[in-house]
Amino acid sequence: MTDSLKTLILFFPHAVAAGVAISVVCTLLGVFTILKNVVFVGVALSEVAACGIALGMTWHIQPFVGAVALTAAAVAALSYPFEMHRIPRDAVLGVIFVFASALGILVVSKSGFGLHEVKGLLYGDLILTSQGDLNVILAVLVPVLIYFLCFMRPTLYTFLDRESAKIMGIRTALWEFLYFFALGLTVSAASKAAGAILIFCFLVVAPAAGLLLSRRLGWVMLISLCGGLGSTFVGFYWSFRCDLPVNQAISVTACIWFGVAATVRFIQWMASRLSACMKQRR
Amino acid sequence: MSYPKPQQESIIKIERLFVRYGRSEILHDVSMEIPKGLFLPFMGPNGAGKTTLLRTILGLIRPSAGKVLKTFHPSDLGYVPQQRSIDNLYPVTAGQIVMMGLYPELGPWRRPNREQKERLNRLMEELGLNGHAGKAFGELSGGMKQKVLIARALVAEPEVLVMDEPTSELDEQSERDVLHKLSTLCEKRGKTVLLAHHGLDMKAAPTSTVCRVDHGSVRLVQSKNEPEPDGRGGNP
Repeated sequence: MTDSLKTLILFFPHAVAAGVAISVVCTLLGVFTILKNVVFVGVALSEVAACGIALGMTWHIQPFVGAVALTAAAVAALSYPFEMHRIPRDAVLGVIFVFASALGILVVSKSGFGLHEVKGLLYGDLILTSQGDLNVILAVLVPVLIYFLCFMRPTLYTFLDRESAKIMGIRTALWEFLYFFALGLTVSAASKAAGAILIFCFLVVAPAAGLLLSRRLGWVMLISLCGGLGSTFVGFYWSFRCDLPVNQAISVTACIWFGVAATVRFIQWMASRLSACMKQRR
Repeated sequence: MSYPKPQQESIIKIERLFVRYGRSEILHDVSMEIPKGLFLPFMGPNGAGKTTLLRTILGLIRPSAGKVLKTFHPSDLGYVPQQRSIDNLYPVTAGQIVMMGLYPELGPWRRPNREQKERLNRLMEELGLNGHAGKAFGELSGGMKQKVLIARALVAEPEVLVMDEPTSELDEQSERDVLHKLSTLCEKRGKTVLLAHHGLDMKAAPTSTVCRVDHGSVRLVQSKNEPEPDGRGGNP
C-alpha cells in the first residue's frame, strides 16, 4: 500500500495535496455544521458553488469568482437568524438548493459544454486537479483554517447558546456570518476539484463518526480529522488499485468508516447497559 | 401614577414599557425601579409575560415603546437560561460550560489563569458539582445541568443576575439550597438577582418582595400576603 501511495503522490501530487487540504478543513468545519443542525448547508452550498462555476464558465470569467459571488449571496441569506421567524433555516436551505441545482443545469444546457465538462462540474474529479486549482484551494483553505482555529471559542459559544453568548458581549451575528462565509469560501474553492458529493461527505460523514465516538470536542475534532484524512488516503489507494473514480472511492470509504464507528458505539452502549443490569442484580 | 422615591440606589429603571408580538400585547405600560441588592422573583402563571419582561431587561427583546435604563456595565450582567437552551448533542463538558462564563475576561484566545481556575473550582464545589466538571453536559441530570448554568452565570461575579426558571428541574432540597445561596449573594455581596418563577413556594422564598406579572401588568408586592410595599413602581 505504501508503494502505491508513493506512486500516487509522485504522479498526482496536486490531487493528493488538494484531497488532504479539503478533507482537513471540511471535516473541522463539518463538526460545527452538524452541531448547528445545518447539515444540508454543505450540499446546498456545493450546488450554489457548482452553479456559480457554470455561470463563470459560460460568461468566460474565472469559475472561482463565479462560485464565490453566488456562495457569498447564499451565505448572507443563511446567516440570518431564521429561528426567530416563521420558517426554519432548513426551509430556506431547501429553496436555495433547488434554485441553484436547477439553475446550474439550465445554464449548462444552454452552453456549449460537452458531457465531460458537465460531469466534472457536477461530480468533480480530484485526480484532475491542476497546479492552478491547487493554488486556489490552498490560498482559500489555509486562511480559513487559521481563522477557524483562532476563533473557535466565540464560534462555539455562539452556536452552543446564542442568547447567553450575546449577553456576554459576543457578537453572535458576526461570528455566525463569518463561520458561514468561511464555509462558503471553502466549498467554492473545493467544488471544482471535489464536487458536491465529496464535499458533503467531508462535511458530514467524517464528523458524524467523530461525534459517535466521543463526547469531548477536542477528541471529536481529532477523530473527525483522522477519519477524513484516513478515508482520503484509503480512497486514493482503492481508486488507484481498482481503477475507480477517486471522489466516489473516498466517499464510500468514509461511509464504511462511519459504519465502523456506529458499530463501536453500539457495542459500547450494549456493554454499558449490560453493566448497569449486572449492578442492579447485585 | 406616582412612584415613591426608592430608598436605595436603583440599578434598573423601566419606564412606560410596552412589548408586542404581532398583534398581541405581552407587556402593557410597565414602569418600575429595581434597587441594587434586591432578590426579586418575578411570579405569575405561564404566559403571563415574566420571561418577556426579563428578556427585555436583558436586551434580547426590543420594546415596542418605553425604555429600560441600566446603571451597570453590560459585562456585569449574568444570565441563567432554561437548561433546555443547550442542545444535548454538543460534546462539551460541564467544566467547559462553566468556563464559558469567563469569556468576558478571557476573550477568544486566553486560557484561564490560576485565580480564575480557583474561582471556577470553588464555585463548582459550592454548588455541589464536585467531580462533575469532566462529565459531558448532555449526560447530566436536569438538576445538575441547571446548577452548571447557574455556576456559569456566577463565575464572572456579575452585579446583576437574571435567571429564567432556574430551579424548575431541581428537587425541593436543591431548590431551597440554590435560592438560599442566591439570597446570600444579595445580602453579603450586594448582588441583584431577578428570577422568573411560576411556582415558587412563597413560604420558602428568601425574600420579602416579589414582582407579580399577570397578563401584561406588573406590580411589586410584599410576599407572605403582606400589603403592597411603598411603591417601587407598578402599573395602573
